[in-house]
Formats: sequence, C-alpha cells, structure tokens
Amino acid sequence: MTQEPHPHSDKHEFRAEALSLWRITFAPATWALHFVLCYALVSLSCIHGTPPVAITRSALILATLAALAVIALLGWRSYRHWAPGRTGRLTHPYGTPEHRHHFLGHAAFLLAIISAIGVVFVALPLLVIGGCQ
Amino acid sequence: MTDRGNLPRGRAAFWLVVSLALAACDGDQSALDPAGEDASVLALLFWVMVAGAVVLFLMMNGLFFYFTRVKVRSQSRAVARWLIVGGGIVLPVTVLGALLTWGLTILPDHRQAGDGLRIRVTGEQWWWRVEYWPEGSDTPIVSANELRFPAGRRTELILSSAHVIHSFWIPALGGKMDMFPGRETRLSLRPTEPGRYRGQCAEFCGTSHAWMAIEAQVMPPEAFAAWLGTEARSANLPATAAAQAGMALFNREGCGACHAIRGTPHVGRVGPDLTHVGGRATLAAGRLPMSIEALQAWIVQPDRLKPGALMPAYPHLTRAETLQLATYLRGLE
Ligand code: HEC
Ligand SMILES: [Cu+2]
Repeated sequence: MTQEPHPHSDKHEFRAEALSLWRITFAPATWALHFVLCYALVSLSCIHGTPPVAITRSALILATLAALAVIALLGWRSYRHWAPGRTGRLTHPYGTPEHRHHFLGHAAFLLAIISAIGVVFVALPLLVIGGCQ
Repeated sequence: MTDRGNLPRGRAAFWLVVSLALAACDGDQSALDPAGEDASVLALLFWVMVAGAVVLFLMMNGLFFYFTRVKVRSQSRAVARWLIVGGGIVLPVTVLGALLTWGLTILPDHRQAGDGLRIRVTGEQWWWRVEYWPEGSDTPIVSANELRFPAGRRTELILSSAHVIHSFWIPALGGKMDMFPGRETRLSLRPTEPGRYRGQCAEFCGTSHAWMAIEAQVMPPEAFAAWLGTEARSANLPATAAAQAGMALFNREGCGACHAIRGTPHVGRVGPDLTHVGGRATLAAGRLPMSIEALQAWIVQPDRLKPGALMPAYPHLTRAETLQLATYLRGLE
C-alpha cells in the first residue's frame, strides 16, 4: 500500500520535475508582465501624451489578446500534464513521482485560469474607459 | 425561561438600533439622501451592493442550515464539486466582474466637463480657500469656507492643498476626492435639489481635522447669479458707530496681515478672506453658526474652539472691543 520511493530515484525524478516547477510560474508571470505593461504605457500616454492614448489603447488590447493566447496555451499544456481524463483522478494525495507530476500540472492549470481572469480584469478599463478620463 | 424574559428588551434594543441607523440615512450630510446626479449614482451602487450582500448572506446561511439541520448526511462528491466550482469560482468571478465593469463606467464621471463655472478649492489648516471662476473670467471671485452651486448646472471643482493631504467630500452631492499639495485633482458635480448640505474634510489632516467642515448651498440658477454678483463686490462700509469702531480695531490689531477685506487696505492671504464673512452661514469652517457671539468667542481665543488653530488669540481685547469687531465683521455680508 505504501509506495515508498527509493531515495535516489526520488532525487532523479525531482530533477526531471524541475522544469514543470518553473512552468507553473509562466502563466502568472504573463499576467504580471501584462499588468506592468498596461499601467506603465497608460501612465506615460496620459501624462506625456506620447504615445497617444488611442494608439496605446489599441496596442494594449492586442497585447491583452496575445497574453490570453499565451495563457490559454500554457493552460492547455498543463491540463494535459494533469490528465484527469486519462487517469480518472482529480487529486494526487501520494508523494510518488507520478502524483507529483500530475499535481504540478493541476496547479499550473488552476494558475492559468486565475491568470486569465486577472488579465481580463486588468484590461477592462481599456475597454470601458478607453481614454485618460 | 430566562430567554423569554429577555426577549422584549432584546427586541426593543433591536428596533432602537434599526431606527437610529435609518435616522442616520437622511439629513444634510448623507450619501444615502442624494441631492444631485453624482450622489444618486453612488447611492444606487450602494443599494445594489447591499441587496446583493443580503442575498449572498441568506444563500450562504441557507446552505449552512440546509446541510446541518435539514439534510444531515454526507453529500456526494459531485454536489461538493459543483458547490465549490459554482459558488467558489464562477459566482464570485461573475459578480466581481459585473461590479468592476459598472464601477469603471462611473469612474470617468468625476472629470466630466462642466457648464461653465469652475470653483477652485484649496485645503488649508483647517479651513477652505475658495475661488469662483465663472466662464470666461480671468480673475477669480475669492471667498472661503462656504460653497454655493447653481442647481441643475454642472460645476467643475479644481482641488488642491496648501500643506498636507485633505479630502473633499459633500456626501449629499457626490463622491469624495483627495486634495494634494502641489497637485490638482478634479471633481465635477451637478446638484439638483436646492438646499443646504454639509461637507467634511475626510482625510485626517491634523489636530482640528474634525472641525474642518464646509457648508454647501445649492441655489436656483438666478439666485446663484445674483449672489455671485454680490460676492464679487468689495466689502460694505461699516454702517454704525460700533461697526466703525470695529473697523478701526481691525486696523489697530493687525488682523489684515493675515486676512483680506476687499475695498480696504487689508490684503493678507494667510487666513480666510473676510470680505463677506458675515454672509456665511457658519464661522470658521462649520465650527459654529454665524453670530455676533460666535465671532466674539472666536476672536478672543480661536484654539479653544479649534485646537491648534493657526490664528493668534486676542485675550487683551475687552468685551466691548470684541463686540465692536464682531459687529463690524457680521455686517460684512
Ligand atoms: C496669523 C494670522 C492671523 C491673524 C493675525 C488673524 N487671523 Fe483670523 N484667522 C487666521 C486663520 C489661519 C484662520 C482660519 C482658522 C481655522 O478655521 O482653522 C482665521 C479665521 C478667522 C475667522 C473665521 C473666518 C471664516 O471664514 O469663518 C475670523 C472671523 C477671523 N479669523 C477674524 C480675525 C480677526 C478679527 C483678527 C484680528 C483681531 C484676526 N482674525 C487675526 C489667521 C489669522
Ligand atoms: Cu482637512
């Protein structure tokens, strides 16, 4: 019943998972980048008038679509990583390499969802307000 | 048994709290008793949020009740999952998204262009410097500690501060806006109901912050225009012997180093402009209703009424002298 992993193989597997560990930060990092870009460019446009706010707005709407596409891609990949359909399991209670692998996919998928929501909320003023009012 | 005995008292206390809470909703300083377009939008937002909060509260507690009293057994994983995904993710995201979108459509309103009149208000310690800039004018009409608005017209306020951060808020007329030293913020108001309202500095700004209020009068446009014409004029000449003596005292005591009275040699800008001080409804930024006695009390010892007030006390003046000064100032309508 207990699946005690061998200490050496554990180390080895962990190294293999290191990339997945990095990968779960990609979606939130995209959100963060989009956030900084929006705030910085709109402030510049509204204070200095260059670039004109209309151009900034269109550029940032495009950047928003790009960010959402990147997050969707990351989300899709992490979903496959998680593979709830294939394994039939939503949760991963054991510290085995396999469970760790699926868990990282699961976490990355949820982070992708919240990052997408974050990007949409940050972009809402671009759509609703539009200018420097 | 003890429960029963307590019930009537508990109920009385409940209704007392409810009626006190409701009584606080109307009045001259209530955001829930709006007297203008801008405050109405905010009041609506508030009521929608309260209603939504009540619904959510009932739903939450209804679920609690249902699962702990009515259907007391463990639920299937499917039910649990739907509750978590639906109630924990989908519902809050939709509600917050909708509120955010609505809030964002309201946000630009405070910078709407006005119908001509601009009022520049500067936060001082602890009073308000006021300048009216009617459309096309190149010199302002200077006033202090009171604001008047033409009803049904949109007026632009340009806000700033002299030393520290203050916040401008007339709840019955609109939202709140901070005032920063060295920076201009804007607020655009369209009051609709003629009447008197009370504003209050809403950002702690020092010892007498709580005494930094402002009277706002909304007037029919013709009455406003007539009033502004009077406000633009120089001060009345003292009409009585007592008032004349008061004017002489004003010279002798050097009040003009800090206060301006247009039409006299006094041009000080440290304290409020007193050209029409007697025409204001309140004294010292809403501290007291305007009256001869209030003026006397203020002149003798301002910091007894407003701790830390930046006006010196004049304890050496006799009662007769403060009466003369007060008579002079009260006559400056
Ligand atoms: C050192 C500057 C200074 C001098 C001198 C001074 N004042 Fe003042 N005065 C102020 C300031 C500052 C305020 C505002 C205080 C506050 O409301 O916190 C004020 C407020 C007032 C007000 C209330 C104005 C309003 O809009 O309600 C009156 C009236 C007044 N002063 C009268 C006098 C008279 C009369 C004298 C001379 C006997 C005098 N002041 C001398 C600084 C001064
Ligand atoms: Cu203040």
